[in-house]
Amino acid sequence: NSLIVGEQSHRLPQKREPSHTAGLRCFSNAVQEKPGLSEDKVHLTDSCVKRLMEIMEKGEYLRIHVEGGGCSGFQYKFSVDKNKNEDDRLFEQKGVGIIVDPDSLEFVKGATVDFSQELIRSTFLVLKNPQADHGCSCGSSFSVKL
Amino acid sequence: VSKRKIIPTRAALTLTPAAVNKIRWLLQDKPEYIGLKVGVRTRGCNGLTYTLDYTKEKEKSDEEVLQDGVRVFIEKKAQLTLLGTEMDFVESKLSSEFVFNNPNIKGTCGCGESFNM
Repeated sequence: NSLIVGEQSHRLPQKREPSHTAGLRCFSNAVQEKPGLSEDKVHLTDSCVKRLMEIMEKGEYLRIHVEGGGCSGFQYKFSVDKNKNEDDRLFEQKGVGIIVDPDSLEFVKGATVDFSQELIRSTFLVLKNPQADHGCSCGSSFSVKL
Repeated sequence: VSKRKIIPTRAALTLTPAAVNKIRWLLQDKPEYIGLKVGVRTRGCNGLTYTLDYTKEKEKSDEEVLQDGVRVFIEKKAQLTLLGTEMDFVESKLSSEFVFNNPNIKGTCGCGESFNM
């Protein structure tokens, strides 16, 4: 009973689903992936990959960590980490990688990591997080869909 | 007997050396722009947020801040909000941003992007 949601419709506000189906959603752009693995992936945008290629040295990863805090309950933390723990999940593209610990992955699976460049600030952002209900304007804080 | 004291006008906005360098770097290959414009907009969980844009001309109501050869304009709506603010540029490996150290604000959002007065 997995639901196929198109790329378009998943930008629209979604009806809150019962929690037992929350982990079963899978997106049309991930259909080619092995079933069962597709929904707990973290996606990287081209600008994110490009920026990581610029700043990361060999053996360095971008770590995403979710912790309590911020105005909406949870917030994303980004750091540079050389130590990949055994239970970290690695999402690699073109030789650069993002690592996420299993606890944080529960809150960011299916999301997209982007590097946004604006005049006022350039920073890494988590976009289109299926786990997040509504976020703060800056995107660093979010609340969880129940 | 005493003459009226002349109080030096305080700059509405001061720039840190890091901000000056960054603005100079941003503008060096863009001769069509004369400076940056700072504004405020209603947005975010705490009410207001800063905006920053390139600007081609000074509008009548803009306040001009000239420091170390770079020009920053403040939108009319933002002039009271920003009075006495220090504009800084903070850069790290993962992010870089202009930061406004504003003495007038009462509270900020966790990320520091949104604030109220």
